[in-house]
Amino acid sequence: MPNRSALLRHLLVGFALLGQAAARAGDVSPPEVVSRVDATLPAEGTPPPTQDHVLLEFNVGVDGLPSNIVVIESAGEPWDKASIRALEQWRFMPARHDGVAVASRTRLSFGMPARAMPVVPDAGTDDGGSPDAGQFVEGEAVDAGHPKHELNTTVLGRGVPKSRGAGDFALEVGELKAVPHSSATEFLKLAPGILLTNEGGEGHPEQIFLRGFDAREGQDIELTVDGVPINDSGNLHGNGYADLHFLIPELVENLRVTEGPFDPRQGNFAVAGSADYQLGLAQRGIIAKGGYGSYGTERILLLWGPPGETSRTFGGVELFKTAGFGQNRAAQNARGVVQYEGRLSDSTSFRVGAMAYGATYQSAGLLRADDVASGLKGFYDTYDTRQGGDSVRAQVHADLHGHGANFTWDQMLYGLYDLTRVRENFTGFLHDVQLPQQTPHEQRGDLIDRTSNAYTVGARGNARARFRLFERNQEIEVGYSARVDSVTGVQERIEAGGNVPYLRDLDLASTLTDFGAYADLNLSPVWWLTVRGGLRGEFLTYDVLDNCAVKTVRRPDPTNPPGNASCLSQQDFGLPREPDARNSATAGVLLPRASVLVGPFKELTFSGSVGTGVRSIDPQYVSQNLDAPFASIFSWEGGAAWAHRFEHHETTARAVVFGTRVDKDLVFNEQEGRGVIGGSTSRLGALFAGRARGEFYDVSANVTWVQSKFDDTNLLVPYVPDLVGRLDGALFHEVPWWRPLDGAIDAKLGVGATYVGRRALPYGQRSDVIFVMDASAEVSWKWVSLGLSVTNLLDTKYRLGEFNFASDFRTSGSLPTLVPARMFSAGPPRALMLTLGLHFGGES
Amino acid sequence: MKRLTLTLALLLVGCVQSTGGQLVSFVLEGRGDPAVATGQPLRFTSGRGFDVTLTRAKVTVGAVYFNRQNPQSYTLEQSCVQTGVYTGEVRGGLTLDALDPTPQPFPVEGHGTDAQTLAAELWLTGGDILATDDQTPILDVEGVASQGGSTWPFSGVLTIGANRVVPPRNTALPGSNPLCQQRIVAPIAFETQLAQGSTVQVLVDPRAWFADVDFSSLAQVGARQYQFSNDGSSPRQADQALYNGLRAFVGPYRFTTPGTTP
Repeated sequence: MPNRSALLRHLLVGFALLGQAAARAGDVSPPEVVSRVDATLPAEGTPPPTQDHVLLEFNVGVDGLPSNIVVIESAGEPWDKASIRALEQWRFMPARHDGVAVASRTRLSFGMPARAMPVVPDAGTDDGGSPDAGQFVEGEAVDAGHPKHELNTTVLGRGVPKSRGAGDFALEVGELKAVPHSSATEFLKLAPGILLTNEGGEGHPEQIFLRGFDAREGQDIELTVDGVPINDSGNLHGNGYADLHFLIPELVENLRVTEGPFDPRQGNFAVAGSADYQLGLAQRGIIAKGGYGSYGTERILLLWGPPGETSRTFGGVELFKTAGFGQNRAAQNARGVVQYEGRLSDSTSFRVGAMAYGATYQSAGLLRADDVASGLKGFYDTYDTRQGGDSVRAQVHADLHGHGANFTWDQMLYGLYDLTRVRENFTGFLHDVQLPQQTPHEQRGDLIDRTSNAYTVGARGNARARFRLFERNQEIEVGYSARVDSVTGVQERIEAGGNVPYLRDLDLASTLTDFGAYADLNLSPVWWLTVRGGLRGEFLTYDVLDNCAVKTVRRPDPTNPPGNASCLSQQDFGLPREPDARNSATAGVLLPRASVLVGPFKELTFSGSVGTGVRSIDPQYVSQNLDAPFASIFSWEGGAAWAHRFEHHETTARAVVFGTRVDKDLVFNEQEGRGVIGGSTSRLGALFAGRARGEFYDVSANVTWVQSKFDDTNLLVPYVPDLVGRLDGALFHEVPWWRPLDGAIDAKLGVGATYVGRRALPYGQRSDVIFVMDASAEVSWKWVSLGLSVTNLLDTKYRLGEFNFASDFRTSGSLPTLVPARMFSAGPPRALMLTLGLHFGGES
Repeated sequence: MKRLTLTLALLLVGCVQSTGGQLVSFVLEGRGDPAVATGQPLRFTSGRGFDVTLTRAKVTVGAVYFNRQNPQSYTLEQSCVQTGVYTGEVRGGLTLDALDPTPQPFPVEGHGTDAQTLAAELWLTGGDILATDDQTPILDVEGVASQGGSTWPFSGVLTIGANRVVPPRNTALPGSNPLCQQRIVAPIAFETQLAQGSTVQVLVDPRAWFADVDFSSLAQVGARQYQFSNDGSSPRQADQALYNGLRAFVGPYRFTTPGTTP
């Protein structure tokens, strides 16, 4: 009889990753085995296998973990289970698509030991070891190359766009999820040069700085989630406003950050670059997490991934509540997402999904540094407790993906609803000046109450064909994007101490369309040279009804005085008119983009890119004109990328120099409380990024230096950081010395650190340095996990955002202060979060 | 190695640039007429030919602001507080003795930027520029005027409160002529760039307050005593002329920086 206590030397692991054959045909390299664990032979008395192999199909995630294991061909339940238990402990290098790690689905055949087969009655002699994984074992392994198992390694989800060079970052979150991330936005920090600040509160979108751009809440960076746009066209808070809080961080699987407008797929708002979030849930089953932390923070998270489905099939709900640190920082939100990915045929898959998000939050806003220094205000205090906001987002999306031997295509439809309401007071009591037609009044306060409602429908699609030229595979892709936005926006000023609006600044109803079409060629005449690029056309239309077109008149009609009305029904000299005005306009532009990749030479690839981008104009600036203005961007970069892979380790490093010129940059305006169009600016910078990964570690580090200047004065652009560094690291391993109740304890440690140099501020000032560390630890055993995360580990009292402008919050006497002074938003102090997690009914 | 370090340091320094301009702090001083010896009365002949001996001349300045608005562009319709134009502020009051030529520092430090200053504003208030009333004595004068053998010993205390309300220009413009406009003396031409640690002086020439005053129209309040009325609606020329002189942006007040000729 076989020795049943030993690791299976008898249950032969004759296996093959059959996708390897298919990989040769395309540009997908299949997953590779990093480590394997032998299976344990079924218990004594187990019936012999019913056939000579067990064929398993499973996912290999970008983290290298097998999941969603399904028995395709059974050899009997005990043998199937033994094979599955073994496979669960295997680790892989993930499949790669154009050099980018991707999740994949593949098959593996476990050969039954010939000795265990009924026809071999003396099976079980302990006379041999297991063969090496991947080797065909003559006479015992049975399936490598078996005709019915000649299977493709299928990349899960949608195709991965081809790299545009060293500044194109396909980021697997992977084990770096262990680093504390309070929102999905924070994953952006895995890309070099990104700083996130937030003066608006827990539910307010983060302000994104990238490559020397102050992209505000997304105005200069195109953000998408699995291709669905996140930027709001026509949002009064900023054209392109993007709130990423509807994403559940645990569902972010990958992220592609393209710094610069170099890919013809990038559309409107891709000024500094673009980022596409790819959602997925590698773990199957039900995951329930409950967290409680500092400042009354509570979080409940429920995720589910039906076993047998892909990682792109999942559901999730999150409830969040916090009292917030300091004054006026309470927030509550809820978010939910469901998505199903299925197949219509071997060559066609589909995905349907829906998301919903609702949030309400308070905001502390900014403080004057002199008030804090003099003790009039505490570091975490606020001036105006009415600051805050509300957000709602609903999304439905569906897409189809088809592929053949030399042709792939995608088609997506989506519908969105967005509500954003933001109440902010940057200046206190400064801007409510007495106008002659108004009843005499004092300063009533500068609280801005800004609401935008947007309904969006859109589609995007592409088709890619492969052809032979120069005796090599070449590709051409054509695609389009189209969206229509119906947006209403109202901005009012609210009287101090209450909720009474006293002035309407804006009242717009806009219908906006954005059509983009592109052609992208991927040519590789010789093995060491690849040219990628093409042309994008962007066509925008505006139809803007301004319901508050007249706010002041010269010499009003004495018999019909305008009084305190915000939107007037008369024009100069008291002549009557309606208070509205309609403006329609169009804008069209062609955007050439190209990248050249040379190499790899000894794992080193050089690249260079040039491209132009566009940002549509805010609807409130549209005038009745055939051609609407827009901001044009010219960008270039040159870089080198190095990737080295050895047995259990993978290391990548990149260095990039880049430059950008924008003819109409956005500069923060405190009176408007948002970015407004300024002059032309140019940037020159460099970045370095590296990542090292192995069986038990994952470390990512990057540093970016950039100088942003106004072209006319050669002076620095304020607020943008010129030096940003970021470190993310994770250690993960099974606790080797303890397996209580025969269950392994997996431990994870995560650490993140951000360094931001002294940012340039108006009037020659410089901000303080920011250095913040976060850390986390988690242990999991069987179906239970316990984690502790600490943000701002060193409890640094730091200024997250700093400004220099005039403000008067009436804290020091009745005489107004009218000259610029330092303002800041406080960075959060140290906060702890303890999370208990349960995982049922699935594999990871 | 040293050479490399030095080169890198120089490159780094070369890279550190600025957004332009700077924030500054400065000292503001008030001074009376430099022609007067401290503690002595000021004798002068007014524009209307009165020989005036001024024995008391004090003005309360609640605050001083500097801005970059061209004085030529000031309009009657503009609001008391503009947005985004101010280059300096001194938010503390001083009752300035216009008969004392020695520097009288304002009680608080001034703050601002080094942006080009084109105009100054004197805020004649006891505190709140928007207050509906203010009993703070803004101007306190005493002296003797004479002409053609007649003599008018006079005194006066002026406030700028409810007594100075000016009706709106018309019913369609109820917010025109706000009281704060009465309290702000502007634009006083002052072209400079404030510098960190610098001193700015405001020179007050009380003679200009009386330039157009017809002392013969003063109200007699005693056997040999005349008084300027604090009633804004007083029809007497002397009362109106002194108030107008107090608020004149050309004549009584001049801003300078040390090193320039007063």
